[in-house]
Amino acid sequence: MTDISDFDAPKPPAWFGAAIPLLLVLLAAGFYWFLTAENKKAGNENNSIQDIKLSGSLIAGQTYYIFASEIEVYPTNLENESWDQGEKGPDIRYRILWKGNAVFESITKDNSLIADWSGLSIELNWKDLLGKSVSSDDAIKAARIRFEEGEKIEVTVEDVDVASDDDMGRHEIEMAKLTIGKNEFKLKKNQTSAIRKITLRVLPVGSNVEDLANIMK
Amino acid sequence: MNVTRFLIAASSLLLGLGLIAPTLTIYPQAGELTWLIKLFAPEELVISTYSILGVIQKLFQSNDIFLALILVLFSVFSPVIKLSFYWHATNQKNSKKFNSILKVIHYIGKFSMAEVFALALIIVVIKSFPGGSSAQLEWGAYMFTFSVISSIAVSLRLDSKKN
Repeated sequence: MTDISDFDAPKPPAWFGAAIPLLLVLLAAGFYWFLTAENKKAGNENNSIQDIKLSGSLIAGQTYYIFASEIEVYPTNLENESWDQGEKGPDIRYRILWKGNAVFESITKDNSLIADWSGLSIELNWKDLLGKSVSSDDAIKAARIRFEEGEKIEVTVEDVDVASDDDMGRHEIEMAKLTIGKNEFKLKKNQTSAIRKITLRVLPVGSNVEDLANIMK
Repeated sequence: MNVTRFLIAASSLLLGLGLIAPTLTIYPQAGELTWLIKLFAPEELVISTYSILGVIQKLFQSNDIFLALILVLFSVFSPVIKLSFYWHATNQKNSKKFNSILKVIHYIGKFSMAEVFALALIIVVIKSFPGGSSAQLEWGAYMFTFSVISSIAVSLRLDSKKN
């Protein structure tokens, strides 16, 4: 009968202990990885909440940038005649009115039935690159309007001519119907308006520039 | 557990954290045009935080295999192997074997601080960028440094036992 005591039991090789530091390194790294994976999950959930805020309805008391990214007009004017003499299209410009005041006027887009505008525009000369500072407010071409319940804005569109500007139409919009981002209004021609479609962009003032750029896309 | 082994264990745990925890954060800026870059190319100005393993992964992804392997060798393998040899040395009763292991450890140790110099170099380079870009050491770098300090303490203790 054999009698094996602890003293006689086979011992692990001397180098076996050398694996302990490696195991400890893996343990610490794995523990940290486990903890941060949980935090990342929570972070992603918070980000999705932020996305909803940037695409939801307007909040009372908050100020917004509002501009028309596209306006389409019918091919004939209010009298059902061509817009400009000859074959040229209308030169379109729009204004945004808030509380009866024109708070924004766009640049004129020549010879267009579908005119588009960017909310961003910077006019830089070469000399400006040598130290001129340009603020983000200077670059954003939009009306700044504060939303209150029952508030309305009006978009008026004109055909700019050398002699006199022709009215193309106007459209009143309840701000409560606007959402952050893109808002499209399809309109029928009538005796006072030849506007076919208005695409408005609404951006919250004060959000970071990266979010603004994403909404403007 | 004796003090030397405790220091090796602490150094191993700190090394594990130092490899995976945030080590360096880079804050890119473009001077007065920072906001403009944020609008048109926001990805260029994203604040990036890297761990040592994160940097290695990124180097592999961008096909900088040589640099990635150098970093793996100097910042992962070399310190881990050194700590393993330390532990192995604490098991040795034979003074001849003990001395030869210490020789190996000192040889490996020469490669273990490479990443600390690399970090210092990156910070100096980024601080000299135009437009106010900056870099900041994160807590992972301190974990790594404390791991190195612990292993130096182990080395000194083992050296004192050398015949």
